[in-house]
Amino acid sequence: MDIFQSTSDSGILTLTASGRLDADTTARFAEVLTGCIDRGDRRIVLDLAGVDYVSSVGLRALIVAAKKQATLGGKIVLSGPQERILKLLEVAGFTSIFTIAPTREQAMEAFG
Amino acid sequence: MSSVSAVFVNKRSEISRIAELAEQFGGEHHLSDDDVMAINLVLDELVANIIENAYEDTREHEIHVTLRLEGTELTVRVDDDGRPFDPLQAPPPNLDLPLEERPVGGLGIHLVRSVMDRVEYERREGHNILTMHKTIGRT
Repeated sequence: MDIFQSTSDSGILTLTASGRLDADTTARFAEVLTGCIDRGDRRIVLDLAGVDYVSSVGLRALIVAAKKQATLGGKIVLSGPQERILKLLEVAGFTSIFTIAPTREQAMEAFG
Repeated sequence: MSSVSAVFVNKRSEISRIAELAEQFGGEHHLSDDDVMAINLVLDELVANIIENAYEDTREHEIHVTLRLEGTELTVRVDDDGRPFDPLQAPPPNLDLPLEERPVGGLGIHLVRSVMDRVEYERREGHNILTMHKTIGRT
């Protein structure tokens, strides 16, 4: 699991994750994501295009982060999941609690 | 008909071997990436749950996994000697709840049931045996 951070001119943070989001790797991923929320990033795009595997441990980390972000008035938008990851997100009921955009640009537009 | 069996012990470090098993089986049988992910996911969820919750002692226990392919019928079997646990009794998660009311856990067995066509549980001679079936596409 690799995670890169970048911030747009308008202040939207993009976290680009790649690899596996499983029991081995999720703790580090969650630490980075929570760290961004804790330091005050309220508009976060999570670019999942390079993620090729997600287990329930990874899904749990996403829900925990989204709940925390929501209580602070922020939002996490998911972008570019591969088709099989998108199917998994649908099965997990994530389409009703996350905005999921096909591209990073569209994800950033979701913040208006 | 082709099958492979593997034994995992109840240690967290074993989880990393699951992906290797799924990829090796998928490669040998020309399975699609989607099917390899399904095998990986199912074993990940079930074996992790067994390691975390099935044992009341600190002894080493064996978890037996068998993958079998007969034509396009994939069968995954997971056998453990932990306390009786039928994951099929878990109620399905309520996926209509808003974010603030959504539980953070409870998705594992839901994912297993979703990616497999059929799941059966039996308790036999002190073992939990979960047998899962899926019709797969082969590349």
